[in-house]
Amino acid sequence: MEKAKIKASQMFILVVLFEMGSAILVGLGVQAKQDAWISVLLGLAGGLILFLIYYRLFKYYPDIPLTSYVQKITGKWIGRPLGLLYIVYFIYCATRVLRDFGELLTTTIYTSTPLIVINSLMILTIIYGIHKGFEVIARVGELYFSVIYFMAFVGIILIFVSGLIHIEYLQPVFEYGWRPVVNTFLKQTITFPFGEMVVFTMLLPFLNDSKKVKIACMGGMILAGINVAITAAINVATLGPELFSRSNFPLLTTIGKIQLANFIERLDVLFMLYLVIGGFFKISLFFYAAVAGTADLFKFKNHQNLSFPIGFIILCASITIASNYAEHMKEGLEVVPIYLNWPFQIIIPTILLIIAFFRNRKKKTSTS
Amino acid sequence: MMRKFFVISFLMVLLLPIMSGCWNQKELTDLAFVMAMGIDKGEDKKFDVSFQLVNPGNVASGQNGGGQGLPIAVYKSSGNTITEAARNATKMISRRLYYSHTNLIAVSEEVARDGILDMMDALDRDPEFRTTTQIVVARHTSAQDLVSALTNLDKLPVNKITKELKSTEKMLGENIGVNIDDFLAGLVSDGKNPIVNGYIVHGKKEQIGNAQDLQKTIGGAFLEADGLAVFEKGKLIGWFEHQWARGVVYVLDKVQSTGINVSWNGKKHAITMASIRSKTKVSVHFKNGKPLINIAIEDEGWISEANTAVDLTNPQVIDKIDKLVEKEIKRQVLGSIKEAQKMKSDIFGFGERVHRANPKQWKKLKGDWNNHFAELDVNVKVDSFVRREGIRTSPFWINMNK
Repeated sequence: MEKAKIKASQMFILVVLFEMGSAILVGLGVQAKQDAWISVLLGLAGGLILFLIYYRLFKYYPDIPLTSYVQKITGKWIGRPLGLLYIVYFIYCATRVLRDFGELLTTTIYTSTPLIVINSLMILTIIYGIHKGFEVIARVGELYFSVIYFMAFVGIILIFVSGLIHIEYLQPVFEYGWRPVVNTFLKQTITFPFGEMVVFTMLLPFLNDSKKVKIACMGGMILAGINVAITAAINVATLGPELFSRSNFPLLTTIGKIQLANFIERLDVLFMLYLVIGGFFKISLFFYAAVAGTADLFKFKNHQNLSFPIGFIILCASITIASNYAEHMKEGLEVVPIYLNWPFQIIIPTILLIIAFFRNRKKKTSTS
Repeated sequence: MMRKFFVISFLMVLLLPIMSGCWNQKELTDLAFVMAMGIDKGEDKKFDVSFQLVNPGNVASGQNGGGQGLPIAVYKSSGNTITEAARNATKMISRRLYYSHTNLIAVSEEVARDGILDMMDALDRDPEFRTTTQIVVARHTSAQDLVSALTNLDKLPVNKITKELKSTEKMLGENIGVNIDDFLAGLVSDGKNPIVNGYIVHGKKEQIGNAQDLQKTIGGAFLEADGLAVFEKGKLIGWFEHQWARGVVYVLDKVQSTGINVSWNGKKHAITMASIRSKTKVSVHFKNGKPLINIAIEDEGWISEANTAVDLTNPQVIDKIDKLVEKEIKRQVLGSIKEAQKMKSDIFGFGERVHRANPKQWKKLKGDWNNHFAELDVNVKVDSFVRREGIRTSPFWINMNK
């Protein structure tokens, strides 16, 4: 494992960037129509509870990542394959985000550039970042955090000043009852983006002050969750529920509507900048978790040697996982949350925690 | 050390071609900026699409004006879909059609009556299109005429139309800017029908697109906004003439400024109040499960004309004028609501209000909303205030009568 140490503030920023990452770009919770923001907030609440599970696990084993402590909890024979599955899961998640990123650029501005070119450029940059190590990624995060917040403020002010907000579009609240909101929460928002905090089980040992883990991560989740919910509400209030649910990238459409004083318009570039930054961190963290996990599981001395091969896998997979955007989205919205996210983010960590609880209690009683 | 240096330099050279960002490059000189599109019914194919392209050399501003030629060129091609027509147009145009600056879609009345659903998705989906593009219906004329017309004050004819819509919305309130998104929002909504501005060509149609026409102060042919087209399920079903159009704009809360004439002591159109701000609130109440619409309009303005002997220094007179203005606005608003009810077309979005106010009741009403709308009870309450009367107190008429 790499000997990196980062500060609590850097961890906080990484959590925020990671959670907002692609969640802000895609129409999160569109199935709940105008109540999307409610299901995002529900997702945040669920995500915080999930994080407490990951945090308890971290408390039992504060110095080692997930791939090591599964072996301690379940033993070598179950733990190792389980760790391997987690690595594959992280690689798959990175792949999905990379595909999202590429699809967005090819549908909006680079309409005739092949997907593989855009994805290769992105993954090359990320491989370079991973090669340099986790500390570097954290520092880059600090740098871009202010850039993102500056853009977000400019964007929100411009949307309000342009008079695009129609609060009445958010009504009626709970038009179709609780069911679609809760359904969206369970199928989507709890796992994406909040449940994806599972990736931090690999990264928490890097924090220099383990007491601050809770405040840094949960604070970051809350901030990111509120931002995502505000974005969802602004999207609905600007576009109306119908156009919101018809848009691939609602935020892009919202920003495209800004027209102020005849010269502040076509601000899509803000969105594109955000997209590149958010995409970078989201892929980087999944990617890094996969690299760190592999290094840990297969006892590599140097994680750097792994960044290129795994990056190459991510690149190739991002092209092959789906033959078109509709397929990609269908998988992302219906298959992945239930068959991948639920087991890896919720079920397995819960079982691990229960086993760890009994094991550690036995240990405690035997030592005392 | 040396080897590492060479490897890195080699990699950098390899990266050069992709880093320059030339993959998708579009040179300015290879682009034809489509400023407006006119869509007519085709003869053999479904659509005839006219592309108004800007001639960049001739609009370049500067103290000496632009170049010599015309600012625009219009090409017409046909196709069964918009994309097909656009691709067919490449047979006539040396440059790549570029839609990011398209500000206007003109649809001929004929196409509008047959339904314009088949062309909307192309405009909604294409990433190059702005959704803020305005949409208008060419009335009594073809869309081709509308996009080929040259204009005096604005070099680019498309600016004339889009700016004119903005200024008339601000100053008169009989037309409102309707962009593709507004139109689509009305189209998909159960409780709202879209409206679109109508445009007509005045004067001699043969003069359209003739540069000599620009040499005269009164053009032989010119464009004017006229009326609001009402759409139902993507088909034009009727027109709101301009006397009723303002009422519509009032209900939609889009009136910023306008002039209201009232009679005084038997003299018609004696006093004009120019309103400077106006606010409309629409609320829904339910009476025995039947929706009841309340419209409250608040209007503020100043007296811009008084063509009769009236003592404007007297607050009681001002109060009386307020009452008259209120009555006049109410008449116009109720009139346009009646018109819409006659057409059974909910262009005000009352259905959406009912939906928001009572989703359960709405489910029952939704299926037959057009008929419910036609029988809807609407209350209009206007509060109008004259705040000041310009730089004179009473008009000169008072002194004349002495």
